[in-house]
Amino acid sequence: MQVLDKTRVETLSQALGEPAWVLAKRLKALEAFHHLPYPTKKDEAWRYTDLSEAPLEQEVEAPRGLRLSRDELPELVRRRLEKTDVSGFLVFVGPDLVYAEVPEELLAKGLVFTSLAEALKRHPNKVENALFQGVFTEDKFAAQNAAFFTHGAFLYVPAGLEVEKPLGVFKVLLEGEKASAGRSLLFLEDNAKAAYIEEYLSPDLPPTLHLSATEMVLRPGARLRHAHVQTFGEGVWHFHRQRALLERDAGLNDLVVNLGGRYARSEVASELLGAGSESEMLGLYFGHGRQHFDHYTLQHHVDHHTRSDLLYKGAVKDEARAVFSGLIRLERGAQKTDAYQANRNLLLSPTARVDSIPQLEIGANDVRCTHGSTTAPVDEMQLFYLQSRGLPRTLAQELLVKAHLADVLTRIPLKALRNHIEAVIEEKVRL
Amino acid sequence: MNQLEIRDLWASIDGETILKGVNLVVPKGEVHALMGPNGAGKSTLGKILAGDPEYTVERGEILLDGENILELSPDERARKGLFLAFQYPVEVPGVTIANFLRLALQARLGREVGVAEFWGKVKRALELLDWDEGYLSRYLNEGFSGGEKKRNEILQLLVLEPTYAVLDETDSGLDIDALKVVARGVNAMRGPGFGALVITHYQRLLNYIVPDRVHVMMDGRVVAEGGPELALELEAKGYEWLRERVKEGA
Repeated sequence: MQVLDKTRVETLSQALGEPAWVLAKRLKALEAFHHLPYPTKKDEAWRYTDLSEAPLEQEVEAPRGLRLSRDELPELVRRRLEKTDVSGFLVFVGPDLVYAEVPEELLAKGLVFTSLAEALKRHPNKVENALFQGVFTEDKFAAQNAAFFTHGAFLYVPAGLEVEKPLGVFKVLLEGEKASAGRSLLFLEDNAKAAYIEEYLSPDLPPTLHLSATEMVLRPGARLRHAHVQTFGEGVWHFHRQRALLERDAGLNDLVVNLGGRYARSEVASELLGAGSESEMLGLYFGHGRQHFDHYTLQHHVDHHTRSDLLYKGAVKDEARAVFSGLIRLERGAQKTDAYQANRNLLLSPTARVDSIPQLEIGANDVRCTHGSTTAPVDEMQLFYLQSRGLPRTLAQELLVKAHLADVLTRIPLKALRNHIEAVIEEKVRL
Repeated sequence: MNQLEIRDLWASIDGETILKGVNLVVPKGEVHALMGPNGAGKSTLGKILAGDPEYTVERGEILLDGENILELSPDERARKGLFLAFQYPVEVPGVTIANFLRLALQARLGREVGVAEFWGKVKRALELLDWDEGYLSRYLNEGFSGGEKKRNEILQLLVLEPTYAVLDETDSGLDIDALKVVARGVNAMRGPGFGALVITHYQRLLNYIVPDRVHVMMDGRVVAEGGPELALELEAKGYEWLRERVKEGA
């Protein structure tokens, strides 16, 4: 495994001009990466997942310093930019930050939105306290990302600044067969407010490994709306891990959408560390063909008077599979916690399958906690009713899939993003 | 051949034969009533006309203006102008009436329907039914009372303007005011281009929708036919005398 060794990490860190502490962290992660085995079905968190076809040991694609003008951006991105909610954005093609557009007025107010490499040079103090705090070496893939990530985005919102329009990142893969590893680090100071959308796009590709990590730090009273929207083409194996650290009275509205790729795994954690903090966690997925989506979530209530509200809804057709495994964990100090978790699945074919595992670990006694999970085939009575009014079966199914996902969709206040997700769902129903 | 014709129709569900040779004709321009005791097969006939996949048709034909539609899917039948007002309208949370109705109208007409055209049609229907516009943004039948569900069926009837409609016990569970509203809707559809089969257990509805003909079903067959007076006779005497007569005849 020469391509994933120490020399490689050192060369990469040097090429990116990183400070010594980052290299040290990378090497520590590399150790973990070599030490940790690849997960197998014997591991509880992977028992429903078949990685036998995954391109696990691909070389990580090195940056080439590609830059593009707005007009030269890949078609996939330009189409998205026609209808998007974001006012400022970074575009990554593979490992390269090819284009950036950030409103001047925000920069003038002290906001930082740039590549991680750039941020490490110009704002080292801001990055050092936060990078790897959320996601580091939790498992093989997290460790691989920490050791080999080639690119990333850094958002810093100063205290009290409320950014009205969302900012975002478009990550595009155009060539396959090489691994791509990137990160986002979002840091909101006291009472700052922002929205951040990550979109992952590609055409159909040969088997390709994609690793992403998102770390969020929300200082007291900060509010963040975050969306991770994955619409890769066929062939991509996407491993995503994110963790939000919420301090006193901070609030997160999180959304994870998996619609593309051959395989996607999202491990999403909200750490409610400060009293009064709250996290809304929404998830939406729709699998077709042989797609397999894994969603592992953690609502971790550490301090008292914290709230979390999780709703993951999905549909699967053909031979697609989905796994939802959600854990609500209440520490002893988490009195007066309000935690809610629901996972609802719609089966559109007899060969599609969903495994749903809601879990509770309660260490406090004065709390309110509910969870529920349902998985059911599409209602033939509903289909017949809609068809009896002239709607062709595919259109009726499309309506029922959208209806099933509606209570997640209607909770997304970003209109262009919602339209985009709906359009992809419509396309997939017709496949 | 301007008629809805059912010829020697046999059908079953889970191996049990429910329809045993139904023959019935509803000419375009007429409204017929289909009456009969519980379990006679009236609702089964309605569902089979609409193409409910739960049932197996063993024999016979359903001719819509001369064309056998038995092999057509429920949506193809609807686009050809057949409409079933369900006895138990289905709840579809997440789909608004407005969205659904516009898609259905587009399917029925085979073309895009602009917002203005759609609202024009819907507004007229709502006025006729004395119904609030707010219902359109509600999810289809979700949380509706029995009466609201039936009203919603008639709303769809008025907007989609089918050539033939089957109303399956649309009167059941309605108070007299709701019944009048439903009847107003159906009567508004009456005309040379529209035929209807009104399935009912009671004569009450027929005071408001006066049928041109009355058919009576028993044990999976149509056993008697007559004018509107037949409904009154059934109301007065019940179904037993007819059952006796059918036995004697056999």
